[in-house]
Amino acid sequence: MKEIQRQSPVQFKADAQKIAMRDNWPVVLEYSNEGRGPFVVDLTHKAKWDLQDKNLATHKPLGLDIPTLPGACAFQKSVLINRLNRTQCAIWHLLADAPALPGEPGYTDVTESTVLLALFGPNALAIAEKLTALDLMDPQKQTPFLLQGPFSHLPCQVVTLERGHGFDGGLLLTCSRGYARSMVHAILDAGAEFGLRPAGEQRFSAWASGLSGKPGSAQAPSVMHLVTTRENL
Amino acid sequence: MNRLTKLPTLRIDPSENRSLQYKGQTYQGVAGDTVATALYANGVRVFARSLKYHRPRGLYSLDGECSNTCMQVDDIPNVRTENTLLKNGMQVKDQNVKGSAEFDWMGFMDKLDCLMPAGFYYRTMHKPASLWPIAMKQVRNAAGLGKIAPDFRMKGDYTEIYPRAAVCVIGGGAAGMTAALAAAESGLRVVLLDARPWLGGCFDYRVSAYDQEKALYQRARELAKAVEATPNIRVFKHTAVVGVYNNNLITAFQVGGESDSFNERYLEIRATSVVVATGCIERPLLFENNERPGIMQVGCAHRLARTYGLLPGNQAVFSIGHDLGLEAAADLFDLGLQIACVADIRADGQDPQLLLALTKRNIPFLRGWVACEAHGSRQVEKVTLSTIDGSAKRQFGCDLLVASAGLTPITGPLTLAQAKLKYDMHTGYFLPVDLPAKTHIAGRLTGLQHALAIEASGRLAGLNAAADCGFDTAKSAAEAGQQLNALPGPERGTRLVSAPVKGRKSFICFDEDTTLKNIKQAIEMGFDVPELIKRFTSAGTGPGQGGIPGHNLPLLVSEYQARTGAKPIPTTVRPPLVPTFIATYAGANHDMCKRTPLHDLQKKAGGVFRRMGVWRRARYFSEDFSCREEILNVRNNVGLLDASTLGKFRIHGPDALKALQRVYVSNMAKVAEGRVKYSAMCNDDGCVIDDGVVVKLAENDYYFTTSTGRAGETVEWIRFHTRYDGWDFHLVNLTDAMGVINISGPNACKVLAKVADTDLANEAFPFSSYREFTIRKKIPVRAMRLGFVGELSYELHADASYMPALWQIIEEAGQEFGIRNFGVEAQNVLRLEKCHIILGQESEQRTNLLDLGLGFLWHRNKPDAKTVGAVALRQTEKDPGRFRLVGFKMEDPQRPPRDGSIIVDQRIRGYVCTARKSFTLNESVGLALVDAELAALGTRLEIFEDECNGKRLDARIVPMPFYDPQGERMKM
Repeated sequence: MKEIQRQSPVQFKADAQKIAMRDNWPVVLEYSNEGRGPFVVDLTHKAKWDLQDKNLATHKPLGLDIPTLPGACAFQKSVLINRLNRTQCAIWHLLADAPALPGEPGYTDVTESTVLLALFGPNALAIAEKLTALDLMDPQKQTPFLLQGPFSHLPCQVVTLERGHGFDGGLLLTCSRGYARSMVHAILDAGAEFGLRPAGEQRFSAWASGLSGKPGSAQAPSVMHLVTTRENL
Repeated sequence: MNRLTKLPTLRIDPSENRSLQYKGQTYQGVAGDTVATALYANGVRVFARSLKYHRPRGLYSLDGECSNTCMQVDDIPNVRTENTLLKNGMQVKDQNVKGSAEFDWMGFMDKLDCLMPAGFYYRTMHKPASLWPIAMKQVRNAAGLGKIAPDFRMKGDYTEIYPRAAVCVIGGGAAGMTAALAAAESGLRVVLLDARPWLGGCFDYRVSAYDQEKALYQRARELAKAVEATPNIRVFKHTAVVGVYNNNLITAFQVGGESDSFNERYLEIRATSVVVATGCIERPLLFENNERPGIMQVGCAHRLARTYGLLPGNQAVFSIGHDLGLEAAADLFDLGLQIACVADIRADGQDPQLLLALTKRNIPFLRGWVACEAHGSRQVEKVTLSTIDGSAKRQFGCDLLVASAGLTPITGPLTLAQAKLKYDMHTGYFLPVDLPAKTHIAGRLTGLQHALAIEASGRLAGLNAAADCGFDTAKSAAEAGQQLNALPGPERGTRLVSAPVKGRKSFICFDEDTTLKNIKQAIEMGFDVPELIKRFTSAGTGPGQGGIPGHNLPLLVSEYQARTGAKPIPTTVRPPLVPTFIATYAGANHDMCKRTPLHDLQKKAGGVFRRMGVWRRARYFSEDFSCREEILNVRNNVGLLDASTLGKFRIHGPDALKALQRVYVSNMAKVAEGRVKYSAMCNDDGCVIDDGVVVKLAENDYYFTTSTGRAGETVEWIRFHTRYDGWDFHLVNLTDAMGVINISGPNACKVLAKVADTDLANEAFPFSSYREFTIRKKIPVRAMRLGFVGELSYELHADASYMPALWQIIEEAGQEFGIRNFGVEAQNVLRLEKCHIILGQESEQRTNLLDLGLGFLWHRNKPDAKTVGAVALRQTEKDPGRFRLVGFKMEDPQRPPRDGSIIVDQRIRGYVCTARKSFTLNESVGLALVDAELAALGTRLEIFEDECNGKRLDARIVPMPFYDPQGERMKM
């Protein structure tokens, strides 16, 4: 055993052009022939925390507000916080290394629990539509927003980060780590007709950094206000 | 055949050729042709033979309403060629024929109809009973549609999508398009579905005036253009609806075109509101030989010419019951068709303009006349017309008979949506009386025929659908309603089904060869409702899904019974409304399974994988499925097992212990730091549902494992059983986050000691204890000293991402000891020798904790915890009538019984849970659940296996465990 490394459950059949080593994770920054999109990026190495508490409102992870209503998300300072239910939220460190897990009770590092994938670019939402009945394009909801339900028949958390023209846009999805290979296979198969290709972390960062802190990214209450005024758009 | 290539209504492109192979010849068609229209263009008139009588069948509806044009295309049987788009190189064959469709040796069956009255296969050839199996084979050989090869593999790409919409409009005719446009005005997401490859419905091919400026087909194209230019309307053409379910879930399938990436795709649409604007199909006219090739519906003849540029015949007779027939006659005449006569079953009510058009063209017109018999063997050559009452008859020579009794609405989607249909005496339609919530109807379906009224009804429905989605459309809807009311309403329809004939060869259902006479026979036998008659005669149960007989059958039954005041009752419609491939339903069909972090390494090491629940696991590591070498290597040396599938959880928070006390039978307060506690969970019946170990990580912070099968339900289970307590604790499922390696065998400690940064001596890390340390100063592990396989064992839990590295480190360290993998089957035998149970193998739904001999786990003195199952355990504690888990050895040491074999004497007394040949003991051993009275040591058991031919196997109950009863090896 030459060097002890971590291994992502996602192994794309593509040539990695640039790799960086982070906390023993070999992170592919760029693949050859990434194309012009849509892209799928493996973000499994990104730190993910689970926070549970009876009184979530009393917590301010990394000084950030937790959205008040389930399904709402806040993407600020490179961190995406997804409100899962009354007592639980997920904290994903998307664009920067995570600090040490806070010492206060309630936090669990769940980085290893799930595979995290980003699917974005032209027709990304059309690919998703082939795999899930979740309404990722709900015009009533302001991005980013979270939906929990089946994606390719597996229980997932899916966050629509961006909704562009037609089916353009992007999303993040997590499911149990063990399903990683099946999920990636299903996504690549669904995306084949649109020219979906694996891309490195740089491609994701370039896209997502433009979304962090955008208006709406932490405005969960107004999102839900819309939900109550119209039944469905 | 020469095509009419200059018509503005064409949907073909004559400049682009397509070809197909049929009967060893190449036939030319053009882009836009269906297989059937291409064949028709090449002079083919007989496409298939019928199910029972092998009667010749030809083009009839052009919409796949019957099996007349079902053929084998590219090895796929029963393809409805009349709505299957022609693609270059298609291989087309006729089916269910001895010879060819044109000359079928089985055609003599047509003469034997007197031997096959209604329901003959239920009533004849059953006595003596031995006759039926022989007769059944012959019946099945002679009848049927296409046959599929057992090894046939469907080619092509079949996929699915799940569109969401505020409004889903079913039907892309004028009403549907107008509805979609109206709904889209509010900015709503609208989905529009049409079964044909283009929008337009019944406007699409008609040149009659829409208004003073344009024809109907021009209006259709105008609407289609507007629809397709509206960004929030999503159009799915060539998409047939197959199901409508609760909450407006609509299922459909789309046929891919040449440029699409799919052959067919399944659609599952969730919509807030639905508009059904499916229009009408024609109601077939019943007369003798009413399905001869050359006889077709009005729309079929008209569209052949206007859509495909094919004049349907040379000399025609029309026998029709609605104005579309008159319109078609005049138009087809203008295109070059000779028309001998138009007979209209209506005595009055025709559009005067259309009558004038016939007069201008010198087309003879007979009011109150109907076709009563078609003549000709393989193609219609002559037709006999008669008055409705049969008092007068006339004959006309022809090669085309355009026949239609009237119109009938396509109500399938409404019926599936649970709308109730009632017969409407004015229109002669079955119309919905109670529409489900957020469902609307529009267009010809409602009986409207006037073009402007059709559109007005569509607009009103679209606005009402938008209102369902929360938009205030009251004002616009009121205006639309007024506009609709000012236009002509539903038109009067016809009721006539059959010409005055006996009906021996008048077919009500083409698919099943059901005749008018068969229906009368069924009624005379006492079947009094259409639903029963449908089943007894098979009418409407073929590939056409009731398209041909669906309306006529209830009308006919009602008419024949002549009950006062009785209205026709429609038969039930079920999904799929249109037949499609199972491949379409299957879709991409990815096998979504879990793989452990060590999957690839184990595969490389020769692992033979099996699906176990949601996981794929390495069950064997050689082709020797007895796993002898794997087992002996663990017993004598050291082995490695991937146990990553175990459920793993963290429970933390101030009330974590209370939650554990609630679900575990043991006293969890006694979980000491650094120790491992084995315990079990029961359900309210005291039946064991799970077992595993618990360790204490810190104050109010525990880590526990569950069996693989329970991992997915554990969080829910604990939350459910603490739902009223308001306790403050948190659960995190770490099943996938942590991998598990089990290193077992007498040399396990030596191997681990080479890589672990801790003291592994028995005193420092004794049996049943828990430690946290690192491997090679880098990989943090949680280690437990357990002994599931009955040897010195360490269970190492580590981050999933480190698992491949950890496995390789241990493998390298173990090389000098001959370490090797062992799989799930070897583990199964090893633990069986030790009599450690696996829930699900040594238990079933009724097996409680005490039955398994696990009563020692149960702590009876924690009533405050209200432990799940404790009450039931108390009640069953002294019950002598329960099964007991026993260990047995076979009298023949080489012959273990199969798992699940039953234990018998004069009756069933239990069953074998697991039994294997033990290479360690050189005996065959097993565990069984038996009646308590058989559980005594030394009792002889008789085991009955499947296919044992009465020869039972003998076993004797022995003490457990079979291997290392003192448990010394686990503690060495």
